[in-house]
Amino acid sequence: MAIIEVQNVTRVYRIGEVETRALNGVSVAIEPGEFTALVGPSGSGKTTLMQLMGCLDRPTSGTVLVNHQDVSQFNPRQRAHIRKEMIGFIFQFFALVPVLSAYENIELPLLLNNVREGDRRQRVEFLLEEVGLADRAHHRPDQLSGGEQQRVAIARALAPNPIVVLADEPTANLDTANGTMAMNIMKKLNEETGTAFVFATHDPQVMAYAGRVIRMQDGRIIDGQNALPAAALQGETAQP
Amino acid sequence: MAFRKFIAMAFRNLLRNGRRTALTALAVGLGLVVVMAMSGMIEGMVTTMLADGIRISSGHLQIRSASYDPNKGSLLARDLLSDGEALAAELESLPEVVSAAPVLWAGGLLSTPRESIGVQIVGIDPEDRFHDPIRQGIAAGQYLSGDDRRAILVGRGLADQMGIAVGQRVSLASSGAGGEGQEGIFTVAGLVDTGFPSIDQNRVLMTLEQAQGFTGVGNRVSTLIVMLQDQETAGEMAAALARPELEIETWRELNSLVLESVENGLIFYYILYGIVFVAVAVLIANTLLMSVFGRMREIGILGSLGMNRSQILTLFLIEGVLLAIFGVILGFILGLGVVAYMTYVGISIPAETAALVEGFPMGTTLYSGFAPGQFVVLSLILLVVVALVSLYPAWFAARMEPVAAIHEF
Repeated sequence: MAIIEVQNVTRVYRIGEVETRALNGVSVAIEPGEFTALVGPSGSGKTTLMQLMGCLDRPTSGTVLVNHQDVSQFNPRQRAHIRKEMIGFIFQFFALVPVLSAYENIELPLLLNNVREGDRRQRVEFLLEEVGLADRAHHRPDQLSGGEQQRVAIARALAPNPIVVLADEPTANLDTANGTMAMNIMKKLNEETGTAFVFATHDPQVMAYAGRVIRMQDGRIIDGQNALPAAALQGETAQP
Repeated sequence: MAFRKFIAMAFRNLLRNGRRTALTALAVGLGLVVVMAMSGMIEGMVTTMLADGIRISSGHLQIRSASYDPNKGSLLARDLLSDGEALAAELESLPEVVSAAPVLWAGGLLSTPRESIGVQIVGIDPEDRFHDPIRQGIAAGQYLSGDDRRAILVGRGLADQMGIAVGQRVSLASSGAGGEGQEGIFTVAGLVDTGFPSIDQNRVLMTLEQAQGFTGVGNRVSTLIVMLQDQETAGEMAAALARPELEIETWRELNSLVLESVENGLIFYYILYGIVFVAVAVLIANTLLMSVFGRMREIGILGSLGMNRSQILTLFLIEGVLLAIFGVILGFILGLGVVAYMTYVGISIPAETAALVEGFPMGTTLYSGFAPGQFVVLSLILLVVVALVSLYPAWFAARMEPVAAIHEF
């Protein structure tokens, strides 16, 4: 049973007199434990679709179900509640809170979910071990490398045991080694925890990790309702 | 979310921009210093002016004939106290009374060969303790003694204005008890500088006996100036001494001009306080708003993690309040220093300026006063104002949609 269902969703942005149709009748379902790539050129609607799935935005029309709840008409507080409990985010720009240490950044969503201190400590320490940063726990973001920051962001996204982690170009600002490390960690945690991952990417190497690829263009899904083999993907994306 | 985590985050955010935080806190502090200094100065002026007014001029009580009008300075027998010295002796036997000084006031004209100036002639008992400030204020020559004949004291300001020196003979004219003109030649025994130019510029003092003889009022006096052990008992004493033929005024009534001036002036000061508070508030709002604009992405991240609007608002509000607390503590310490300086050293004003003040004595040094209760209230008001103003940038941060704040997501 799908954990996220996007049904015939349209999202129109208006800036002054100009109207932009970012999504145009998109329908897609994300199943538990999926490791899915959203692929498409800039402006294809990947980010908008992820924002809607992550309750960061509301559709102009259509329905978004998260864990079987129609969040399309939720108010900001209700959407914040869904994000807090069910969704983890990983951003392209290592979005850590600059005044908090690695430990505190991972702890933050647990604090928001009122997790008891002992359980918090246990969870944060476990995740720091998982991402290989136990010895960097008390470093602030500006004392960590880009790769380390993104690993903290991965741990933070998984901290509250979300049903899905949404990652927007998670390796775009990392070198190959760090990008590979980040993807390996995400894949490992996906397999260990069963948390679904949906990530937007242009990187063929990143796409190779995906169990399913959803292709988008001009605000529509053009392919990807079914899983594609990684090898086939690599060959396809290698073409100009 | 644990509130102490909010405080820790807010505190660290303030430290993140240490220079901006320090400058803003300093601005808040300086605002508080200004209002504390103004408040202390008002307190000091009221206290000093009242104390000086009582000490130099009004006393705690004045007992006069019911028909006497101090503005007219009548020398008619019916307007004067006929048994003033006996009443003074009676009063001085009371334990509540420190002194009771009989005084005669008369209008007069002081003349030198070069010019004439209208003056107030004051007849005093030189031995009375109430007149100690005059004795202590002798700037040249000597004080009056009981057997002085034709000796007068002239206020220094008046002497300077008329070019009068000690030992000089001057002419003094007054209308007597029956309305007839009186004129005599007097020798200036001393010049008086009480430190209150408005008094020293128009007074001529002589012994009571001499003044009574000069004006022809017999042994009558204009008033009895009474000093009490405790000024708060003035009302009770006035009630106890009340008689139909007497008019008794307490220091509150006698210094009503000071009290009314202060009361009217307070509105002006409250407006100034308001302007300072608003200026500080605008500065804080601007600083916090700049902080919000500089942390849009961070706000988006917090929102994406599930921090709701009221939590984001609380986070930024705490930053504003912490900033205000730093500023107020800094300002309070600096303010106490400034007020202490103004209390113990004071601020000098030109004698010409002090002389312009009419109706009550004003010295040439203004002293501040400590009003701890008022300083605390002003600090709390500033704290509340800044906290309220912080609501706007906090609300601005809280109402942002995470998706708009993050941009790139």
